[in-house]
Amino acid sequence: MPNRILSTLISSVKMFYRSKSSVFWTIAFPVILILIFGAIFSGGNGGKYNIHIQDLSDSQMSHKFIEALNQSEVINVIDVGKDVNISEYIRENSPTAVLIIPSNFDSAFIPGATNNTTQLKLMIDPTSTSANVITSIVISVSDHFNLAIAQGGEIITLKRTDIASEQFNFIDFFLPGIIALTTMTTTIFWTVDIQSRYRENGIFKKLMTTPLTRMEWLATQILWQLVVVFISIATILVVGIALYDVELTLDPIAILIIISSSALFSSMGMILARFIKEPETAGTAANAITFPMMFLSGTFFPLETMPEYLRAVAQVLPLTYVSDGLRDAMVYNNIVGATNSLVVVVILAMIFFLIGVAVSRWKVE
Amino acid sequence: MLGPNGAGKTTTVEILECLRSMTSGEARVLGLDVMKKAREIKYKIGVLPQDFNAFDLLTVKENIQFFGSMYDRMLDPMDLIKVMDLQEKADEYFKNLSGGLKQRVGVAIAMVNDPEIIFLDEPTTGLDPKARREVWKVIEELKKKGKTVILTTHYMEEAEILSDRVGIIDRGRFLALGSPREIIDEHGSGSHCIIANADAKCLNVLKERWPDHEIRNGNFIIPLRDKDNLVEIIYALDGSGGNYEQIQVTRPTLEDVFLRLTGRKLAEGGDTENAE
Repeated sequence: MPNRILSTLISSVKMFYRSKSSVFWTIAFPVILILIFGAIFSGGNGGKYNIHIQDLSDSQMSHKFIEALNQSEVINVIDVGKDVNISEYIRENSPTAVLIIPSNFDSAFIPGATNNTTQLKLMIDPTSTSANVITSIVISVSDHFNLAIAQGGEIITLKRTDIASEQFNFIDFFLPGIIALTTMTTTIFWTVDIQSRYRENGIFKKLMTTPLTRMEWLATQILWQLVVVFISIATILVVGIALYDVELTLDPIAILIIISSSALFSSMGMILARFIKEPETAGTAANAITFPMMFLSGTFFPLETMPEYLRAVAQVLPLTYVSDGLRDAMVYNNIVGATNSLVVVVILAMIFFLIGVAVSRWKVE
Repeated sequence: MLGPNGAGKTTTVEILECLRSMTSGEARVLGLDVMKKAREIKYKIGVLPQDFNAFDLLTVKENIQFFGSMYDRMLDPMDLIKVMDLQEKADEYFKNLSGGLKQRVGVAIAMVNDPEIIFLDEPTTGLDPKARREVWKVIEELKKKGKTVILTTHYMEEAEILSDRVGIIDRGRFLALGSPREIIDEHGSGSHCIIANADAKCLNVLKERWPDHEIRNGNFIIPLRDKDNLVEIIYALDGSGGNYEQIQVTRPTLEDVFLRLTGRKLAEGGDTENAE
């Protein structure tokens, strides 16, 4: 029996490197992914929010206020000239947030002045995801000024540190997601492609005439997918390290999660290919399965930002546990969390493998 | 197994090859029940399935090696390549081979486990006449080596030339079984002498002498009861002093047998081309 599995694997390797398009896509797809994510998260203004400020006061106090906003480190102040017509400016530049500092701003700070209030005007695009963040920063800086005027002392102070160790940059957080995604797409698409193609061109029929069993065939396919997955992941890590100073490495739990998830997704591909006969349709079906998982499993967007019902959906998607587990293992060093995810993935892999064996027919229909 | 498309040839052999479940009845291969001993049977048979395909990106030799490794023991791939006369193509990718060569590789693969029975399911369908003859040669080689070959075909000529025993199958039933000679003798209409374009002088003599004659398309057809008949016919023609264009003796073919048994011709027997 090992002879049969070994020789199928050897043949798969030969066919793989002889097919230029297989090699290209196995390497190109993850490279494209990591280049896109690298470009998004390593360039630009470092995740700062732009706020356009028209300073009508142009006084010592208003300068201090702007300085305070700047010091928050998440606000990028863009100065709008004093004489600019603000409604025209908004029409032309479509800013997310515009803050107008009134001309009486500094007079409010004069001790004993009769009219001790001033009103900042914050205009904000409510559809923008950063609206809440910008609003709360402006409010907190204003509060700070209010407190200072009232000469109240600060009782609560805040010191912020990053949750993961500080050597990581933003792309490090996304890398486990990219690895999870690559594992899923590679295995599902390969499996669906091979299964439907071999059925169509009659190779299956020939294989069925030999003593090879369907269990051996499924096992061989899963082992082979694992090889392809590790080629892809190695590519991701090499490109990540070379271009974006990625600091992550694969620890044993991460490797176990990758192994069990490729078994899981290969089995899914088997089941899919079993029920969809034409190779063309099978590809579309694979897309229909991988696409929602891509977006709903916390691979690209954190689950916390999703509405409750979508989070509930994410809880039943296998990719969620792969992404979570890999992130826990590779970024947060959270052994317990990673192990929990690993257990879920292993159980799912076993269930799907058994379903795959049960539904696959080693007979002509 | 000779029969038109849709007769049930492939279904029958696929049951024997343990590729297909049967709905009723019993089938044994080498004494082994196909439902219970499928794995044992698979070790002992070699199969060239209909529409055979191997791995495009493996060479001829690698394909033979791959399928050989599925068994506990295998013949030397290079020996098989030699038997199939594929030496020049041994290191060629399977996808680059012509249809006839692909079928030869298929036969080589079917032999790789040195099987006791080789099943060849329509090995020449879709091949041009030259490639078809190449495959025939290979099958005759197998016969010479003493292998049992079960061949399905809808070509009458192929069955007649290659078979020791023919089973004529139609609509799922065997209509006749035996050597081509036996089947023709049993179900055929006997040999005939055909005299083409005989003139009135000849015809007068012939009509009187052989009242059981037939005239079709200007041909005068006389059933031959025994071998002396032919000599008598020639004497009669000679004695008549008339002229004729040609004299010919035909013996019935499996095609004629099929026509007599089913009322249809082999080529038009199937319901659809792709029924199998």
